[in-house]
Amino acid sequence: MLDVQDLHTHYGRAHILQGISLQVAPGEVLVLLGRNGAGKSTTLKSLIGLVRPTAGRIRFGTEYITGHEPHAIARAGLGYVPEERRIFTDLTVMENLEVGRLPPRPGLPAWTPERLFALFPNLGEMRTRLGGRMSGGEQQMLAIARTLMGNPRLILLDEPSEGLAPIIVEQMAHAITAMKRQGVTILLAEQNLHFATNIADRAAAIERGRIVWTGTIPALHADPALRDTLFGA
Amino acid sequence: MLSTLLVQLLTGLSGASSLFLVSAGLTVIFGVTRVVNFSHGSLYMLGAYTGWSILSRLPREPLPFILGVLLTVAALALLGALLERLLLRRIYAAPELLQLLFTFGVVLVVQDATQAIWGPNDLPLPRGRWLRSFVEIGDARVPLYDLILIAIGPAVLAALWLLLTRTRWGTLIRAATQDREMVAALGVDQKRLFTSVFALGAGLAGLAGALSLPDGSANLQMDLSIITDAFVVVVVGGLGSVPGAFLASILIGVLQAFGIVVLPQATLVLVFVIMAAVLVVRPNGLLGRPQAIRENPASTTLIRPAEPALRWLGLAALILAAAAPLFVGPFLLSVLTEMAVAMLFAAALHFMMGPGGMASFGHAAWFGLGAYAAALAVKGLALPMTAGLLIAPLLAGTAAALFGWFVVRLSGVYLAMLTLAFAQIVWAVMFQAVDLTGGDNGILGVWPAQWATDRLVFYWLTLALCTAATLVLRTILYAPFGYALRGARDSELRAAAIGLDATRLRHAAFTIAGAAAGLAGSLAAFSKGSVFPGFIAISRSVDALLMVLLGGVQSMAGPIVGAIAYTGLFDLLLLATDQWRAVLGLSIIVLVLAFPQGIAGTAHRLWLRGKEA
Ligand SMILES: Nc1ncnc2c1ncn2[C@@H]1O[C@H](COP(=O)(O)OP(=O)(O)O)[C@@H](O)[C@H]1O
Ligand SMILES: [Mg+2]
Repeated sequence: MLDVQDLHTHYGRAHILQGISLQVAPGEVLVLLGRNGAGKSTTLKSLIGLVRPTAGRIRFGTEYITGHEPHAIARAGLGYVPEERRIFTDLTVMENLEVGRLPPRPGLPAWTPERLFALFPNLGEMRTRLGGRMSGGEQQMLAIARTLMGNPRLILLDEPSEGLAPIIVEQMAHAITAMKRQGVTILLAEQNLHFATNIADRAAAIERGRIVWTGTIPALHADPALRDTLFGA
Repeated sequence: MLSTLLVQLLTGLSGASSLFLVSAGLTVIFGVTRVVNFSHGSLYMLGAYTGWSILSRLPREPLPFILGVLLTVAALALLGALLERLLLRRIYAAPELLQLLFTFGVVLVVQDATQAIWGPNDLPLPRGRWLRSFVEIGDARVPLYDLILIAIGPAVLAALWLLLTRTRWGTLIRAATQDREMVAALGVDQKRLFTSVFALGAGLAGLAGALSLPDGSANLQMDLSIITDAFVVVVVGGLGSVPGAFLASILIGVLQAFGIVVLPQATLVLVFVIMAAVLVVRPNGLLGRPQAIRENPASTTLIRPAEPALRWLGLAALILAAAAPLFVGPFLLSVLTEMAVAMLFAAALHFMMGPGGMASFGHAAWFGLGAYAAALAVKGLALPMTAGLLIAPLLAGTAAALFGWFVVRLSGVYLAMLTLAFAQIVWAVMFQAVDLTGGDNGILGVWPAQWATDRLVFYWLTLALCTAATLVLRTILYAPFGYALRGARDSELRAAAIGLDATRLRHAAFTIAGAAAGLAGSLAAFSKGSVFPGFIAISRSVDALLMVLLGGVQSMAGPIVGAIAYTGLFDLLLLATDQWRAVLGLSIIVLVLAFPQGIAGTAHRLWLRGKEA
């Protein structure tokens, strides 16, 4: 569904992504694992078009989206939930959802606020609350719900568990699994190994802007040396 | 007594309505696109002219009037959308200062185009009887039209509010005002949003322009006179906030109406004091939010002393400049004098703008203050020229120190808009204080002292003073003060960590720059033999900016080269055509489109690329 070939991205003169290649199959959850500063967020931003890759190709479905504008990429069916959540703090929950709304896609049931509130019950109880008046966990849920309103075929989630209390992280894992069951393909960037391996099917490890390992979650668990190089001190 | 008060209040409120219509568009456009749109005043002016063309052909009855106004609104909305799609769209990524400059280029072009289409004369609208009627309130007679205007302000506010909160389009606008990148990542095409926002803003400006006709006329001054007030309103209300713009319009409108009765000369100063007071208490305006800090591209470049080769070149140029008058005629001599003055003027702006990181859009204020100080010293107080040349930088520096205390606490657009507003206020004070300054007629007969009346001697004097002052600026720049100033510009936090007080450094730089510009102004006064409000006009501030940008901010040589090149080109332009506004405006537009990162920034990037290759 998503095929990334040899993606390079620069910030100014700093060469951040140095040839990222990865594939995401329809219906799967792929987790991009890596330390702080490894290039996870930059990868997702390059995919959605917020930063312009300097080389490489991105195919989404049958379409090449390399270098396209973010809005065009989003309309093609790629959803993006940023690490900082970027909730519209002056807008209510319902208005935040409205900003994310895009026409339904053939073959997929359209997301409605009601369906989203079933997925994130907390949100349903605060429809008129301003985004700025919500807790970090609620904002994270709203950020995901807002992106789902665009009926994406694939959603890019940047560290959804970051800075959240363990119980909220658990809820988040449930919601993401439920999303997956409803047919959304997911590319997840994470540092939280436990959270990630609970919900992902496959993992890709990123280090200093390069994919250094790809495999299934059991394979990852079976390789403690790899886990140490990725997350050890 | 009470009834006069009431009438004055109502006059103020009706003025506030027009101001709000213009400011609301400006603030919404800024909120979404982050462009400070100078040309918004031009749309207001075009609204008045278009409205005049339509309304003067219609019967003078209420219904045709309403219809004609609505037609004007539609025409201006279309024009605004066109302006956005053809021009402004291309500069969204450019640095703020270039955006401001770019839209000023549009202002110049529109001025000449308007004059070409509608002629130079004011166009008053013949008013039907209903437009001249009064309403009795108690024992006061209030013009009916004032009451209509007063009602339109809140009505438009309510309509805008409904639009912004009850429609998807409005929700998108509010979201984009906060985080337009995120809005794009959610699948919203910003370009269409921006175009529609421009259309809305231009329509409102057109509405205000058309509605201004019954109380005045369509004239060529209305673009810049409204935009200054609108800038003040938008800043006081908080950039991007429509309700803030409404509150601030009322505040400023009522204040102006009462000021004119109580103390006409002090009104503008009062407006400024109010604005300063609001911003000291609430740095983001009444209802504004903190602005995200944009990286200042000028600030990423180092300023280094000139290479030895360049120094020799400078010395050679100076000797040549000193010897030149022996070979050239009187016209070229006056051009050379102008160049010397321009060099100091530009170097002063560069001083605060490059190393200080404060891009002023009102640098002419200090130039003009210096010129008027010198002129008044010799004409009013009968002091010798040398005293005038001494008083000018002192007075300009003192004024800069007073105003600077407040302005150096701001940055970016706020700083640019406030320096502009301040310069406009100085302009208006000089324009209005007829007893002291002769108003529009200026002060004539400001001639140099006996020993310097010879054009040649005066040129040498100017060259010597300007070169000396520029060298002083340069010396300060490479003294510890200059390095500290640049350190504070590049990182206020880091500067604070090593014990530098960024605000005080900036304040000192601002004051020095003001004094230097004041000296330049006084020399210009003696050279021309007269002083006019034009010395403080926005276009003169823009001249200085163009000189600095033309030469580049990276080095001290930049503003000097820029000043000489610009003065030469501009004088040629004046000789060649009387459509200099259109030509200058078009040149600005083309330059910014060609070098969206600034000429210097582009050169710098090319240089980097060359080094990498
Ligand atoms: N806007 C930026 N400008 C310059 N460098 C950046 C920017 N954003 C991130 N970086 C750098 O790029 C590298 C990768 O960052 P990022 O993709 O955010 O990593 P991760 O999400 O894996 O923590 C880091 O070294 C970071 O410092
Ligand atoms: Mg990250």
